[in-house]
Amino acid sequence: MGFKGLSESSVRFLLGAGAVAGFFLVWEFLLTYVFVFNPFFITKPSLMWGATGDLILSGELWKDIYVSGTPFVFGFAAAVVIGIPVGVVMGWRRRVAFTLDPFLTALYASPLVALAPLLIVMFGVGVKGKTILIFLLAVFPFIFNAFAGVRSVDNLLINVVRSLGGKERDLYFKVILPSTLPYLVAGARIAIGRGIVGIIVGEFYAASEGIGHALIWFGDMYQLAHMFVCILVLMIIAVIFTQGLRKAELAIAPWRTQETR
Amino acid sequence: MEPYIRSTDITLTFTPKNRDAVTALKDFRIELNSGEFVSIVGPSGCGKSTFLNVLLGLLKPDKGEMEIGGKKITGPGVERAMVFQEFGLLPWRTVLANVELGPELKGESVASRRPRAQELINLVGLTGFEGHFPHELSGGMKQRVGLARALATDPEVLLMDEPFAALDAQTRDLMQAELLQIWDKHKKTVLFVTHSIEEAAYLSDRVIVMTKRPGRTKRIIKINLPRPRGYEMRLSPEFNDIKLDIWNNLKDELNARE
Ligand SMILES: Nc1ncnc2c1ncn2[C@@H]1O[C@H](COP(=O)(O)OP(=O)(O)O)[C@@H](O)[C@H]1O
Ligand SMILES: [Mg+2]
Repeated sequence: MGFKGLSESSVRFLLGAGAVAGFFLVWEFLLTYVFVFNPFFITKPSLMWGATGDLILSGELWKDIYVSGTPFVFGFAAAVVIGIPVGVVMGWRRRVAFTLDPFLTALYASPLVALAPLLIVMFGVGVKGKTILIFLLAVFPFIFNAFAGVRSVDNLLINVVRSLGGKERDLYFKVILPSTLPYLVAGARIAIGRGIVGIIVGEFYAASEGIGHALIWFGDMYQLAHMFVCILVLMIIAVIFTQGLRKAELAIAPWRTQETR
Repeated sequence: MEPYIRSTDITLTFTPKNRDAVTALKDFRIELNSGEFVSIVGPSGCGKSTFLNVLLGLLKPDKGEMEIGGKKITGPGVERAMVFQEFGLLPWRTVLANVELGPELKGESVASRRPRAQELINLVGLTGFEGHFPHELSGGMKQRVGLARALATDPEVLLMDEPFAALDAQTRDLMQAELLQIWDKHKKTVLFVTHSIEEAAYLSDRVIVMTKRPGRTKRIIKINLPRPRGYEMRLSPEFNDIKLDIWNNLKDELNARE
């Protein structure tokens, strides 16, 4: 068709961007010419555009992103740093898995957001309380996926490294961790989604700033355009992290990305 | 002359959870001279891989012990290296990094291990593929990497567990000839497990025929064919007699297979 001479990545970008633009245009069109527009029920892109301007010009948006982003980054980083070693050791050492399994399964299965009020009471509405909540939500996908990844390690590769004089430490760093990587990336995707839930829930109670708080506040005020902008911002944050993940995977695991291409 | 590798009667029983115990080896005994090329043939499941893993130091026998150069085997050691049937290359490492694995695990510096790895890559004919990942290679190339990796620690003994079984016939013939050249040049002791009578007869000084499980030595057949052996030798009547001899020893074990 008309894409001849374009690289695959530009075609990909054009189609993706076109689809998003088309989505907003159809949305705008439907609410302008087809359906009756009720601003207490829904908003439309032209109004959101204006709201975005408001939020950016007043400096609110950046402040809220900063306030919510800080605990997100801290909580997520802690989930990586703690979740991966715990999962890996559980996978490799059966006794550790048997010991921790009941606690982790119970915590993973239960709606951790229910703990939010308690955490807020204990640690406050500031960075600390939200970080802990986001950490709790994000850490389980790392633990369980690292665990599953380790269980899938090819025993042959373990034998290869052991036969060449590898010690326990070498097994971890030269076999177990690299074979677990695809599972960790999958876990990270889930953890991003759960972490964003953590942002919103963590700011649900008593918070006075942050993107989650703004979202809820605008909702209460029936400022739907502003509220939708907040939702969009959360989506964009999720997309940026997921894309960053893809890039990171490409950098640290070139063999996989070449394989799946 | 004292044999370089010797064992007392080796017995090893697997006791998997929720399944019946399997005695893989019962009173299996072996002696190898330094620099010798010995093949083991036997019905599948008779304990060949198990034995190689004992010799490699990954499995401990229930009874019996093995000695190499007068020293008892208690675990893996630098004087032994294995070439695996399924290659066992680390998918996240390039050809070069896979070949360097052994020296790296021994703590050798890059400066000392790199030139040697490159030399071995050239030796197995993979020059130019140093930066490729395993999934970009054909089966034959993968096993060349496997061979180079095993040679990289400069072992005295090369253990090979059906190394060419996963390759197509032509690649196999080629690799056999190259293996003989490398063996001749580097003077390794080779213990080679195979399903192929032809391969065993072509490569070896001696062929050990094993019984069905639990594996013991049934016959040891000496191959008195001159070296270097060319492809034409495989068409000679002497060669066919040897193959027939191996086959006659093996066939009862095969149809008695459960
Ligand atoms: N890790 C294990 N656990 C239980 N049984 C095993 C194990 N490894 C091998 N066996 C059994 O021991 C026997 C010998 O296996 P193996 O040495 O692999 O035979 P082969 O001669 O085909 O290489 C087989 O019956 C196999 O099923
Ligand atoms: Mg086998």
